[in-house]
Amino acid sequence: MSKVVEVSPTTRHEGHTKLVLKVNDEGIIERGDWLSLTPVRGIEKLAIGKSMHQAPKISSRVCGICPIAHTLAGIEAMEGSIGCEIPDDAYLLRIILQCANRLSSHALHNILSLPDMYLPGTDTHINPFTSEEPVRSVALRIQRLREIGQTVGEIVGGEPIRPSNPRIGGMYKNITPRAKSKLFDLAKEGSELAREHMEFMITVFKDWENRQTASVASGYEVEKNDKFGFHDQGYMAVDPLYASSNLDAEPMWFPERWTEVRPWDWYMGEQEITLDDPNYPNHATTPAGNKAWPQMEACTAVPMYDGQPIEVGPRARLAKFRNYDKKGAMGLQIARQMEYPDCLYSMIEAIDAIDTSGSVIADEIPQGDGSLGWAANEAPRGTDVHLAKVKDGRVQWYSLLVPTTWNFPVCSRALEGAPWQLAEVIVRAYDPCVSCATHMMVVDEEKKVVAQKLIQ
Amino acid sequence: MVLGNYKSVISARAADAEILKRSQDGGIVTQLFAYALEEGIIDGAIVAGPGDEPWKPEPVVATTRAELLAARGTRYTISPNMMLIKEATRSYGLDKVGIVGTPCQMQALRKAQLYPMAMRKVPDKIALAIGIFCMENFPYQGLEAIVEDHCNVKMESADKMDIGKGKFSVYTERGAISQIPLKATHKYEQPGCHVCLDYVANLADVSTGSVGSPDGWSTVFVRTKNGENVWSKAIDAGYFETKDIASVKPGLDLVTKLATDKIDKNKKSVEARATFGVNKGLRNPYI
Ligand SMILES: Cc1cc2nc3c(=O)[nH]c(=O)nc-3n(C[C@H](O)[C@H](O)[C@H](O)COP(=O)(O)OP(=O)(O)OC[C@H]3O[C@@H](n4cnc5c(N)ncnc54)[C@H](O)[C@@H]3O)c2cc1C
Ligand code: SF4
Repeated sequence: MSKVVEVSPTTRHEGHTKLVLKVNDEGIIERGDWLSLTPVRGIEKLAIGKSMHQAPKISSRVCGICPIAHTLAGIEAMEGSIGCEIPDDAYLLRIILQCANRLSSHALHNILSLPDMYLPGTDTHINPFTSEEPVRSVALRIQRLREIGQTVGEIVGGEPIRPSNPRIGGMYKNITPRAKSKLFDLAKEGSELAREHMEFMITVFKDWENRQTASVASGYEVEKNDKFGFHDQGYMAVDPLYASSNLDAEPMWFPERWTEVRPWDWYMGEQEITLDDPNYPNHATTPAGNKAWPQMEACTAVPMYDGQPIEVGPRARLAKFRNYDKKGAMGLQIARQMEYPDCLYSMIEAIDAIDTSGSVIADEIPQGDGSLGWAANEAPRGTDVHLAKVKDGRVQWYSLLVPTTWNFPVCSRALEGAPWQLAEVIVRAYDPCVSCATHMMVVDEEKKVVAQKLIQ
Repeated sequence: MVLGNYKSVISARAADAEILKRSQDGGIVTQLFAYALEEGIIDGAIVAGPGDEPWKPEPVVATTRAELLAARGTRYTISPNMMLIKEATRSYGLDKVGIVGTPCQMQALRKAQLYPMAMRKVPDKIALAIGIFCMENFPYQGLEAIVEDHCNVKMESADKMDIGKGKFSVYTERGAISQIPLKATHKYEQPGCHVCLDYVANLADVSTGSVGSPDGWSTVFVRTKNGENVWSKAIDAGYFETKDIASVKPGLDLVTKLATDKIDKNKKSVEARATFGVNKGLRNPYI
C-alpha cells in the first residue's frame, strides 16, 4: 500500500516549494511531485506595452541570485527582436558579468548544500557556520569567492544585484584601465581559490556518494539507493558559458521545439497525507489527514523540449559540450563544481581582451517591427530563455522560460527510487531558484491564462 | 556652533605656484587632492570639471594632476558632484575616493555613508571629503543672466567670477572688471538654497573658503581625524604656506558673522514653511 508524505516547505534553496511524495512500505518514493508554491508575480503580462529598455530591468527583479542572467537574457531577447548587434567590447563586458554571476551563485549554493554532506571519512555533518576548522576556512573561502564575484559584477555591471550597466545596444559604460587591472587581480586571486575549492567540494560529494547511509542535515540516517537521483530525461544547453540568440549564425536553441503544458496535466491530483514524521529535521512533515493537490497548487507551467521535460544546468552544459556522463544527484553537484575554473579562466580571457577605450554602444538601435527575438542565457542554474516581440520600441509580447521551471518536472522524476527522507538532497542538487521559476502567468495551448485559477 | 566642529582653523595657500595660477583662492582644494593622489591617500577625486558650455561645470572623476588642475576655480552654478559617487566605485574601479563639494553635497555624502540606500559598497570607499564654503548657488540660466545681462560680459570672455564684499565680480580675459551689487543677484538664487543651514561645510573632513583670509589665501577648517591626518602630513611635506588665523584680517569674526547671518535668515524660511498655506504647511526635511 503506498502512502503519501509531504515535506513543506523545503529548505536551503531559493524560494518556496514543497514535496508531495507517494512512497511504498519501505519509504521508497514511487512518484514524487516537487512543486513551486511561490506566488505568481506576472512579470510577462505587466511588461506588455512597456519600453524595451524597461522590461529587462523589471525581469531582473525576478530573482536576486541570478539577476544578471535575466538582465542579459531580457536585453538580448529585445536585441534579437529589433536586430541590434552590439560592439565587441560590450560583449566582453557581458561575458565578464556572466562569469561573475556564475562564480558567486555556485559558491552560494555550496553553503546551502554542505549541511547535508559529511566531513570526508567521518559521520559528522558539515555545519558551515561553525567556527571550528577545517570548516571555518572553507566557509571563509566561499565568502571570498562570492565577494570576488560580486565585486567583479559591481565594477563591470554597475551592480552585482540588478546590474545597471547593460542596456539595449550594449552597455552604458566601458571600464577604465584602473578598473581593468583591479578586475585582473580579483580574477587571478579567484582562480587559485576556486581550484582549491573545487577539489574540496568534489571530495565531499564523492564521499557522500560512497556512503551506505545518509541523512538530511542532522537528521537520522536511512539507507541510500544505488541510482540516487537518476532520471532518463535528456539535457538541454546552448553554450558552455554564455548564450545563444536568434541573431547567431548558428542558433543553439529552437523555439519550435518548445511546448508547455499546464501543471494540471502533469502533476498528481488531490491526495490525502497518510504518513508523517514529527522528527524530520528543521520542522516536522505535514501531519497525516491533511490534503495536498499538486495540480492546483503548483505555480509554474511545465515546459517541454521535443515533448519531454529536460534537464538544464551545469551537468547539461558539461554533457552537451564536454562529454560529461555522471548521473544522479551527486553527478549534478560535481558538475557544478567543475564549472568553477572555466568560469574564472573565461573571465580572465575576456578582461585581457577588453579595449577600455572601445565603444560599448551600438551606433544604431532599431525600434523593432514586432518580429520574434529570443536569447538563451546559460544562467548558473541552466538555460534561461527569454522571448520577445518589440515594435516601435515597445514590448508587444514577452515570455521567460527559466532554468528551474525546466528542472521542476525532471527533478520530480529523479526522486523515484530514493528514500523519501533524502528527497531534499536531490532537490538541492538542482540548485533550485523558485522565484525565477514562478515569475509568470501560466498560459496553455490556446494561450488562455490558466494560473488565474490560483489568483482569483 | 555656526562653524561646526573642528580641530583647528588656519589661513593657508598652496605652495605650488602652478596650482595658484588659476585657483579660486588659496588653491587648497586642488593642492590637497594633488597631494593625496601622489601619496595614494586617494586614487581619484570627483571634481567639477569643464562642461560643454562656458562656466557650466560637469562632474568628473579626476585621476591625474592635470585633470585636477583643469577643474580649478569656482563655477557659481550647480555641479552635481554626488552624481558620480557610486560610479566612481564601479566602472572607474576606485577604492579610495576623494570628493569636493558645497555643504549640501557634504551632507549628501555623509547621509549616503550612514544610510546607504542603493549605495552598496560606497560608504567605506570615501577617503577624503573637502567642503567649500557656500552662501548660495545659482541655476545656469541665472548665472548667465547675471553675467551677460547685469555685468554685460559674454560668458566666453569671463576669466574669473567672484563673490565678496557685497559684490558679484566678473574679470575678463582682457583685464576688465565688471561688478554689480549682490542684491541684484538675489532673485536668481536657486530656491532650494533658502532652507540651507550650513555655511562652512560642517560635515567635510577639511573645509575651505575665501572669507576670513586675504586675497589669494584661504580659510581652512580641519574637522575630522581623517582630515587632520591628511592635512598635517601635507603641511609636514611642505605643500602649504600657513598663517595663524588670529593674525590675518578680517579673520574668523567675519566668517562667524556671515555664517550666523545665513543660518538665521534661512532658519526663518524653514519656519515659514510650516504655515505657508491656510491650515497647512510645506515639508520640512529637518524634522
Ligand atoms: C556656489 C558656490 C558658492 C560659494 N560661496 C562662498 C562663500 O560665500 N564664501 C566663501 O568663502 N567661499 C565660497 N565659495 C568657495 C570658494 O569660491 C572656493 O571654491 C573655495 O575657496 C576653494 O578655493 P580653492 O582655491 O581652494 O580651490 P581651487 O583649487 O580653485 O578648486 C576649486 C574646487 O571647487 C570645485 N568646484 C567649483 N565649482 C563648484 C561647484 N559649483 N560645485 C561644486 N564644486 C565646485 C572645483 O571642482 C575645484 O575642485 C563658494 C563656492 C561655490 C561653488
Ligand atoms: S547654499 Fe546650501 S543648498 Fe545652496 S548650494 Fe550652497 S550648500 Fe548647497
